[in-house]
Amino acid sequence: MMNSVLKVENLSISFGGLKAVDDLSFEIGDKMIYGLIGPNGAGKTTVFNCITKFYTPNSGKVTFKTNTGEQINLLEHSVHQIINYGLARTFQNVELINDLSIIDNLLIGAHSQYKTSALQQAFLTPRARREEKEHRGRAMDILNQLGLADKANEIAGSQPYGVLKNVELARTLMSRPKLIIIDEPAAGLNETETEALAEMIKKIRDYYHCAVLMVEHDMGLVMSTCERICAINFGKKLAEGTPDEIKQNKEVQEAYLGKDDDDAEN
Amino acid sequence: MSILNKKQIQYIIFGVIAVLLPILTQAKGSTITLLASIGITAIATLGFNVLLGFSGQISLGHGAFMGLGAYISAYFVSQMELPFFLSLALAAIIPFLVGFILGLIALRLEGHYLAIATLGFAVVIEEIFAELSEFTGGWSGTKTTYPIIFGHKFDKLSVYILIIIILVILMILTYNFMKSATGRALVAMKKSEHAAQAMGVSLFKYKLLAFSISTMYAGIAGSLYIHFFRFAEPKLWGITLSLDLLAAAVIGGLGTIGGAVVGVAFLKVLPTVLQMLPVFGDFDGLAFVLTGVAIVVFVMFYPRGLINIPNDLYHKFFKRKRAENEEVKA
Ligand SMILES: Nc1ncnc2c1ncn2[C@@H]1O[C@H](COP(=O)(O)OP(=O)(O)OP(=O)(O)O)[C@@H](O)[C@H]1O
Ligand SMILES: [Mg+2]
Repeated sequence: MMNSVLKVENLSISFGGLKAVDDLSFEIGDKMIYGLIGPNGAGKTTVFNCITKFYTPNSGKVTFKTNTGEQINLLEHSVHQIINYGLARTFQNVELINDLSIIDNLLIGAHSQYKTSALQQAFLTPRARREEKEHRGRAMDILNQLGLADKANEIAGSQPYGVLKNVELARTLMSRPKLIIIDEPAAGLNETETEALAEMIKKIRDYYHCAVLMVEHDMGLVMSTCERICAINFGKKLAEGTPDEIKQNKEVQEAYLGKDDDDAEN
Repeated sequence: MSILNKKQIQYIIFGVIAVLLPILTQAKGSTITLLASIGITAIATLGFNVLLGFSGQISLGHGAFMGLGAYISAYFVSQMELPFFLSLALAAIIPFLVGFILGLIALRLEGHYLAIATLGFAVVIEEIFAELSEFTGGWSGTKTTYPIIFGHKFDKLSVYILIIIILVILMILTYNFMKSATGRALVAMKKSEHAAQAMGVSLFKYKLLAFSISTMYAGIAGSLYIHFFRFAEPKLWGITLSLDLLAAAVIGGLGTIGGAVVGVAFLKVLPTVLQMLPVFGDFDGLAFVLTGVAIVVFVMFYPRGLINIPNDLYHKFFKRKRAENEEVKA
């Protein structure tokens, strides 16, 4: 792949004796929707945590093409710097600020975009006001796009899990990302909501011109949205390819043996 | 109506009332002293709330930063003959820098090192205050005068008014700050470090920012203290004062602006009222015991703090009514 936004090479991390991710490599093309699948405990979330520097892998390289087109190794940067380069993420268990409104939660997602200083903000200088207004406007646009506009001023903690999952997804877009990585976006959603999510993910990619890396147990969602998929088990790559190739792969079938496709886990 | 809903306007109205109250009632000197003391402590508590209420960090040495501000201010006014406002600015900036350096060391480590480091700082600085007698007057204390501002010599009432004006300005600035991107970053950090980090918030940088800002408020409060009471001694700035700030922030309502004022007023007024009762009349450590009890009671039974009581009561009755209506419908 010539034009990749993210290239993971030989990534490994172990916890004690357990090899959670084992020499894993994969590559995501520009504006591609990419799936990372595998049974429970396969190491998917751990891969996300390594890419975003919540964990420091034992070895490997993660090359990311930044907003400015530069190639950087994410592993050489700190966890809070990652989003500045254009990579935003969600969490499997939803990490929102429960006692803030949904729009304020989105504004936290814009943190990396603010240019004014704390002092300018305290004195409400024209520049600080303009900036705040601009990001508020963007937040409303994103909420509109994702059909959440009517909930903008609701307190996050009062909303059902399915809504929170979508708010977290919306929050990633505030940072003008080149790549968003989302951990089980369909967890807690019913069938119609999941279908709507599939449309939404495609729409996000087209509208915001970003690539999507998604971990998901719902095979229907994965197969209908992802252009390429990487299947892992015990931290190791089983197969990589198009949805059809993955469906037909023997090893993948075995790993999922005895498991229903829609045996989604929260 | 909508203009009255603006917090900034509410703070100004509060300030006007606080100023007019002693003037219209021709309050006694001791009442003005009590009100001024509430105003001064509220400024320090406001800063403490930025630290604890918004960023979730604890300091046990904020009293020491107040002392630092007090001595700096007295020194520059009395010995260097600098104008009052310049001394006040220095009493804000120097503690800010000292806080910054202390934070730089203590916040590198994860966990509750800040509480320990600030406690150590308070102990050390009390000794320094006592030893540096040229600067602080040593154990016997130092004296200064009411401020002279633009050639105008202030008296007790006018210093009180100045305190309230500065308090209101700081309430407004703090409110703006807390509603800004930086304030949201602090709240995010307190509620979910993971979310904050993923959104680009450096935990170290923002903890350091919150801590240094809060020490600046303490410095301002200290400066106003010494120019109102015109006397200071090293033992004023110890752990008791620091715990008072902590208690006021918790009791008033963590993470609220008005809570800082309400919490301080509660802690200052209640002992005075109780002392009037015959049972408590000659109980010496009453204020101290009461503060301890109040912290425990609020943390355990009402962590949202005094400031939220009216709102919570309103919602409770309002919600109940609505629930009943819904039952009727069903
Ligand atoms: N911080 C950690 N410390 C120790 N072990 C860990 C840690 N994080 C993950 N693991 C282990 O690594 C393995 C992979 O976990 P991971 O959460 O990445 O799985 P997953 O593929 O996301 O699973 P699921 O589908 O259930 O979310 C598991 O055995 C898990 O217990
Ligand atoms: Mg997982």
